[in-house]
Amino acid sequence: MVELEHVSKYYGVTRALEDVTCRIQKGEIVGFLGPNGAGKSTAMKIITTYTAPSRGKARVGGLDVLERPLDVRRMIGYLPETVPLYDDMLVREYLEFMGQARHLNGKLKSRLNWVVEACGLESVLQRKISVLSKGFKQRTCLAQALIHDPEVLILDEPTSGLDPLQIIGIRQLIRNLAHEKTIILSTHILSEVANVADRILVVNQGRLVADGSFDDLIDQVSDKNSIYLAIRGTRKELQDGLKGIQEVRETAADSDTPRGVSGMHVYYSEKIDMVKKLNELIRERGWEVVEFHRERLSLEDSFIRLTRADSGKPDSGASEKKKGGGR
Amino acid sequence: MKDIAIIFNREFRAYFYSPIAYVFSIIFIVLNASIYMFHFFFFGNADMRSFFSSLPLVLGLIFIPAISMRLWSEEKKLGTIELLLTLPMKTESIVLGKFLASLLFYLVALAGTLSIPILLLFLGRPDFGPIFGGYFGAVLLGAYFLSVGIFISSFFSDQIVSLIITSLVCGFLTLIGWQYVPMVIDGWIPGLGEFLYNYVGVTRHFNDIERGVIDMKSIVFFLTFTALFIYLNAKFLERRKY
Repeated sequence: MVELEHVSKYYGVTRALEDVTCRIQKGEIVGFLGPNGAGKSTAMKIITTYTAPSRGKARVGGLDVLERPLDVRRMIGYLPETVPLYDDMLVREYLEFMGQARHLNGKLKSRLNWVVEACGLESVLQRKISVLSKGFKQRTCLAQALIHDPEVLILDEPTSGLDPLQIIGIRQLIRNLAHEKTIILSTHILSEVANVADRILVVNQGRLVADGSFDDLIDQVSDKNSIYLAIRGTRKELQDGLKGIQEVRETAADSDTPRGVSGMHVYYSEKIDMVKKLNELIRERGWEVVEFHRERLSLEDSFIRLTRADSGKPDSGASEKKKGGGR
Repeated sequence: MKDIAIIFNREFRAYFYSPIAYVFSIIFIVLNASIYMFHFFFFGNADMRSFFSSLPLVLGLIFIPAISMRLWSEEKKLGTIELLLTLPMKTESIVLGKFLASLLFYLVALAGTLSIPILLLFLGRPDFGPIFGGYFGAVLLGAYFLSVGIFISSFFSDQIVSLIITSLVCGFLTLIGWQYVPMVIDGWIPGLGEFLYNYVGVTRHFNDIERGVIDMKSIVFFLTFTALFIYLNAKFLERRKY
């Protein structure tokens, strides 16, 4: 449904996007993830035809954004990051204007009623936009993006400024829409991407550094297999026991355990059944197990690793946290 | 055409959301009427010569920049330009819709000065030829200045900067049409002042029409430049993408 083919964008000498290629299928919810200035918004602006790629091709529904911009725009609903609204208009006037500008004609009334209900705007419909809270402004802008029932929805920071209940509501709305629409969203809230998106595209310094599901991303950056084991006993006792397993590559003590309990992160690189080996060790030593589980990187850790690795900076933050025993 | 009407509707209404438009309209009417009344009582002529002779400067320096400053600058400042230029509308339609809304607002304000010829009708026997000509010229001149102002506002997100630059440009276009300004320029660069007077300055063309001489050359001059700046505005907004 949405394709970027070797897309680059330069603002003067500043690189905003560099050779980005991706294909987003119909019905997918894709999350753009990346630090500030990574190029997420630029990619969205290219898809919406607001800006043109310096190199490469961008297509929506098979149509080139430069050759058929008006047809592309008909397919797209867009919520920009800045939540642009005409402050001097009433919410109803604004939505009617956007509906007319989207050529809804006879469908305007029914679509207006639908977005007002879907975005929870009944109570502010006759209010001036300038007096709305940030949350209502966000929802009004989301409503204009939905009013023409677009095939592709581009949402730049859709839940920014909303309270937790509103965030849950908008996430649910996005999930409901996903069955029939292609949704591309960008956010700084990592948990939001993990909760809503089927697929995550990580952009850093203008380049696409990862593309896959939440699990794929974590697997991509996890260079070590890791198990956490905590027993009632001393650290030395635990360390001595682990030394007996040849395949253990590295251990890191957990300093944040209750008195009388020792914990250790056990890293191993070979493809062996480490759980079985540790179980045998526990039985052999007669340890009382307090905690025993496989460890996975969090999305935050994966994000830091992906973006730092790409920037050429050391991955200190992620590994320190791991070795410090963050769980 | 429908797209032009949709944008026109929003833009024309927007003028009445803000008090600035009312303030400038009142200033425009009061200022023009005051200048006129001073001449009327001083010289006692039942014509509108003094009104139309000061009109280009009043329009170019104050009123037109005040009307046109918000048209793109406000969109840029609010960020609504991003939504506007991703609507399924041609950029030319959006620019034309904005231009026509500002033109109608100007015409409403200009209509406020019709009290002067009505007053003249009661006080004397005015020659309505030059008065009709003057109003016709004022419409053409206003349209030209507005196209310049809208074009300039597309460069800046700050309305005040748009206002000042438009004032300077329209002021220049007016002054260059006065006879002694080109003479000064000719003194620096021979031939340049005369060229600007003939082909760029608006006053000479406006004066022709205002005298009741409906010269096609002057009409074509105003319409051509108005269309040119509307076209340039649309092209500039399209080029911005790259």
